[in-house]
Amino acid sequence: MNTKLLRILRFSLYLFLFGGVIFLTASTVHAQVMKANSVSTPIENNSPNWDQIASAVDTGEANAEMPPPPEKDQCLHCHIAGEETNLWTPLARWSIFGTFGLIFAFGVFRSASVWKTKKPWVPFTTRVGDFIDERYQLRDFLSKILDKPVPTWATRWWYCLGGITAFLFVILGATGIMLAFYYQPTPEGAYASIQYIETQVRFGAGVRMIHHWSANGMVIMCFAHMLRVFITGAFKPPRELNWGSGVILIVATLMFGFTGYLLPWDQTAYWASTVGSEIVGGIPDIGTLILVFMRVGWDISAATLNRFYTLHVLVLPIVLVTVMGLHFLMVRRQGLKEPL
Amino acid sequence: MMTEKTEKTIPFYPDHVRTEARVVMIMILIAFVFGVLGLIFPVGLEDPADPMNTPEHVKPEWYFLAVYQILKYIPKTAGALLLPVALIVALIYPFIDRKEDNKKQMRIRLIGSVIFTIVLVVLTILGQVS
Repeated sequence: MNTKLLRILRFSLYLFLFGGVIFLTASTVHAQVMKANSVSTPIENNSPNWDQIASAVDTGEANAEMPPPPEKDQCLHCHIAGEETNLWTPLARWSIFGTFGLIFAFGVFRSASVWKTKKPWVPFTTRVGDFIDERYQLRDFLSKILDKPVPTWATRWWYCLGGITAFLFVILGATGIMLAFYYQPTPEGAYASIQYIETQVRFGAGVRMIHHWSANGMVIMCFAHMLRVFITGAFKPPRELNWGSGVILIVATLMFGFTGYLLPWDQTAYWASTVGSEIVGGIPDIGTLILVFMRVGWDISAATLNRFYTLHVLVLPIVLVTVMGLHFLMVRRQGLKEPL
Repeated sequence: MMTEKTEKTIPFYPDHVRTEARVVMIMILIAFVFGVLGLIFPVGLEDPADPMNTPEHVKPEWYFLAVYQILKYIPKTAGALLLPVALIVALIYPFIDRKEDNKKQMRIRLIGSVIFTIVLVVLTILGQVS
């Protein structure tokens, strides 16, 4: 150990200790001063008595005696002194101080490790990669995929439409799961739960808007992708099956739209579904059978809503993801069609 | 199918992946803008469904409007058969059109697609305003 390194280390230690003492003293003094200056009453008097409220609700008394929410300003010193206790405070506190703690722990570990092994530090990403590659030999397989050259003509914007459709489906899946947390597939519950999502749930109206417009966008993008494939002649041999799977995908997308449209259970949804299923009912011989099967009876009812919901959140996603996987595999295997 | 001509290529990773990531990020941004717009102008709800009370103008979703409009011009059975027949024709189309692909064929397909799209859009608009 040379003297220069020792000197630097000793200086760092002093700096750390001195700075820590200054910081802790200053923050404590600041918190105490702010606490003394603020004229708010103790928090216990402001917080509602939940036992009293619960018993009042149980006995059926009017909840007019509900105390007003505590009036106190959101302040930094309340956080430091531990007075501010809303629902999110512990999470914020843990994430902020926890991050600093992790960084500090990592620094100590890294320094100790380098000191002990006398070797340069190996980043965690490299270690994880090596760990996985030792066991599953993924590196060659991945590099075959990642190093594949892409012709420059394949970067034109119209080759992007299929990818946009696929990513819109990802957005729809994510927002759809969020909506499904609150949605109830019963005639009474459906309308009320959509109202609840629109008015009460945080960012609920936004998520519904994204779901709504992504669905419309996916139909448009599907059609645009289909036109691109048709015009460039990419459906020609040897890609017939890929075209076929694409047709199945567009039908599944339209079925998604059709079943999803009924779910809000308002007048537009109800009568649009009625008219839509009537079109199918006009098919000779088997039309009536399809109509009855679709509506679960002769009219659109609670059973129809439940069936459409099941189709929308279970059956169609499974079908779409499966066929989409095949669609992608076939593109991967055959490559894009070269332009003429 | 390898051809003799040497074509220009870019590496899939990181060049092409970067382009795709950009598209994805732009889409996420647009989705977020739509979300914020949704907080100000929500999608909204009509009156609750009432099977006893048919509204004035009953329409299907906009992507079925074209079919709905055709139904007004042709007999009901033919109109109902239109969708399944179109579906089957689309499925087996690669086996119908087996001509050698060339520039002329492509131009014909382009013009056909444009006409088809225009007809579809006009029918949809007619269905919407009627």
